[in-house]
Amino acid sequence: MIEFSNVGLRYGNGPEILRDLTFSVEPGSFHFLTGPSGSGKTSLLRLLLLSLKPSRGRVTMFGEDVSNLTQDRLLQMRRHIGIVFQEFRLLDHLTTFENVALPLRVLGQPESEYRPNVTELLEWVGLGERMNALPSLLSGGEKQRAAIARAVIARPKVLLADEPTGNVDPDLSSRLVHLFAELNRTLGMTIILATHELPLLDQFNYPRMLLSKGELVIHD
Amino acid sequence: MIERILRFWPSRKGAAPIVPEKSVAGRTLLLLITIMSFLSAVTLGGVVLVQKSAIAWSADVGREVTIQIRPVEGEVMESNLRTAVSLAESTPGVASARALTIAESQQLLEPWLGTGLDLTAIEIPRLVVVQLADPTDADIEGLGRNLAAVKGASLDTHAAWRQQLNTMAGTIVLSGLLVLILIGAATVLAIVFATRGAMATNREIVDVLHYIGASNKFIAGEFQGRFLSIGLQGGLLGTVAAMLFFALIGTAAGNMLSSEAGAQVGVLFGRFALGLDGIIGILAVVPVIAALTAITSRVTVRRFLAETS
Repeated sequence: MIEFSNVGLRYGNGPEILRDLTFSVEPGSFHFLTGPSGSGKTSLLRLLLLSLKPSRGRVTMFGEDVSNLTQDRLLQMRRHIGIVFQEFRLLDHLTTFENVALPLRVLGQPESEYRPNVTELLEWVGLGERMNALPSLLSGGEKQRAAIARAVIARPKVLLADEPTGNVDPDLSSRLVHLFAELNRTLGMTIILATHELPLLDQFNYPRMLLSKGELVIHD
Repeated sequence: MIERILRFWPSRKGAAPIVPEKSVAGRTLLLLITIMSFLSAVTLGGVVLVQKSAIAWSADVGREVTIQIRPVEGEVMESNLRTAVSLAESTPGVASARALTIAESQQLLEPWLGTGLDLTAIEIPRLVVVQLADPTDADIEGLGRNLAAVKGASLDTHAAWRQQLNTMAGTIVLSGLLVLILIGAATVLAIVFATRGAMATNREIVDVLHYIGASNKFIAGEFQGRFLSIGLQGGLLGTVAAMLFFALIGTAAGNMLSSEAGAQVGVLFGRFALGLDGIIGILAVVPVIAALTAITSRVTVRRFLAETS
């Protein structure tokens, strides 16, 4: 599903942030992406999200080389990728329901069509009672569950998560990763979850991609 | 004040707008577009008034020519007057011809010579007023040629006055259109700045929309919707204000001047009545301003997104 071959990335004329990345990710797999701060986790996620193009090497996603994609094709491929951020990035003026429904609205679905799906998903992530609340009234855990729901509502093939547990306590972190695991298991979604919390990784038996100074030192 | 008025504006039902209504520098931009619409509508209305008055005045003057007969020694004025009237009446395209009486001629001189003077002892030029049935078909040149037979007679077609009036009206209309173009350009520039400001303020929303797979077209559409709404509101408020302005000026002009003076001012400058075509023209400011706002914001957003994505 995802293949990186000798991929390098630099911003402008700066030094290479990522070097010689070669790995593949199988459909329906779950990977932890870890490494110390500044190791390049976010840059790698941005490559996976197709918001950056590699400076060198070859990235293949869903069977297509991403370096020569048109804007329209890039957009279509991006719709197969969901993203969850550490800082949630919910739109403050929209309710939980409206935030979660946003990807479907972008796809042009009418509210009558997506309302049952959004409601069901919100109940599944435990936000059934909070769907009309604005993000400012949600706790950190609730915000992150809303962000996860928004990322998966359009059933993407790949779900990326950039430090999704960074703003919640350890107990809630574990429960959130369990939620990702459940999505992986029940929906068969490919998940790459970036975190630098090693104790959290030890609780789950998923393969790890360890980045260090822009290089992939472990990929099991 | 504007907010109070806008409470009556129908709000969009259904899903909340993706671009928050209050984040698009809405109030300032709304005020600016209202002012620009008001200025556009007033300029347009002024142009319509001037043009209509000029056309009406020119048409009035054009329907009449005057034969002036100066006193010439050895000539009998009354006989010359009758000949001139007869020549005029026999000219194709002339509806009627009438010599002004001595009393009427004296009345014409009163503004310069005052009243109460006995002018019977003085030979004064006499006038024959010729009404044309159809100014375009009347044989004015033929009348001029025939009048050569009457000593001291000359024909005044008021062509110089009409030419001057038309030139003046044309200049005012052209100036008005130039002002409209400048107002349009200023509006476009203001919307460009407001849009770029709104995009910068809402950068987080734009990023999130990109991440969840929204196309630039979709994002531009969301911003355009907000700006179209502001454009419509501003256009409507400005135009309504302009209509009230014209109604107020018309009423004030009618009240301030006596009926006689008012009639004279009306003859010279029109009656501050826009007419149906003028009102339609002013109402057209609303969709034009709204479209200008929507198109400008869309182009600016698309350019901004192309630069940043």
